Amino acid sequence: MSAGLTLPWMEIAPRAVHDNARQHATDQAVAALVDEYAPTLYRVAFSVLRNAADAEDAVQEVFLRVLRHRDSLHDVRDQRVWLVRIVWNIVLDRKRRAKTRPETDDITELARVLPAAGMTAEERAAAAQHHAHVLSLVDRLPPKEREVLMLSAFQELTSVEIASILGITESSVRSRLFRARNLMADLLERPRSVR
Amino acid sequence: MTSPSQHGMPGDAAQNGEDTLRLIAGLPAPEGLADRVNARLRTAPRRAGLLHWPIAPIMGYRIQSPAFRAAAAAGIVCIVAGGGWQIFSHVQTAPAANAIVQPARVGNSGGFSNAGAMRMPDTLDRPVLKHPLPSNQQDSVAPAAAGQAAPAKKHKPVKHGRKAAPDQR
Repeated sequence: MSAGLTLPWMEIAPRAVHDNARQHATDQAVAALVDEYAPTLYRVAFSVLRNAADAEDAVQEVFLRVLRHRDSLHDVRDQRVWLVRIVWNIVLDRKRRAKTRPETDDITELARVLPAAGMTAEERAAAAQHHAHVLSLVDRLPPKEREVLMLSAFQELTSVEIASILGITESSVRSRLFRARNLMADLLERPRSVR
Repeated sequence: MTSPSQHGMPGDAAQNGEDTLRLIAGLPAPEGLADRVNARLRTAPRRAGLLHWPIAPIMGYRIQSPAFRAAAAAGIVCIVAGGGWQIFSHVQTAPAANAIVQPARVGNSGGFSNAGAMRMPDTLDRPVLKHPLPSNQQDSVAPAAAGQAAPAKKHKPVKHGRKAAPDQR
């Protein structure tokens, strides 16, 4: 085809160029979100699922959902809270569907992942057993109180952000946290007490 | 970190539990997590969109214009609708059955039937005399019978009202 012959329908549509550029920019934005928030999301997922592979799988599912809704990514006000809320819903759903994990599984997993600097093997095993016991008591708390207590353990989340994640008011977060602490104290002092 | 020896102290019980949760919440993420997630995202299927014309992705021509797409969509709709109409016009519906199947009726006589015999009423085309008349009576009857066809005799009209009153006295 000669250079002078250019039919009108052969012109390059500007929209095609814009689509590619926009898609590339969105992919870059999602990759930046992964780099920044994947560790936080992993810790949130692990605190509920208590299994490294399941937690990583949950994080991947979070970003797959983000990729699906990447067009509305710019409308999100607080991306960190938004992502934590997504992973929170995912892990709660998985936890609900999964069978109850035996405490021995938690002990094994905690013994593997907990820091063991300066501890003998016996001390490490005893610590893992203790933490698994505490976590089993946390599981016995009512769901509302348990959720607030678990999210409050994350230092980077304020009570306002916890309220936003759970979809409740900040005063509700405080009252639930108060109740959770009282119930937890009762359970630790009298493990066989019925809530 | 919370040590097992602390477990069992009543005053610090709640704090003890929260320490465990904080410890779990502070565990570091595994190495290379972000890279693995990014690699998974790169291989993830893209969002479903408009199908591209075979030439368009290569050259990005204006063949992707909305008008062209609309025309192509209209053509597809016409083809599908035409095919459907062709099938519809060639399919012949089965004729409706004329015979109506009725269940066999059981008579009132305890199960005995009339073996299919039907009672025919004594209905004929015209009235028939049981005893034939003599021939002279047949003649007198004939005009009478013929008179039925003749116009009816005129009757004197009955007057109503005041003028008719004296006659009735």
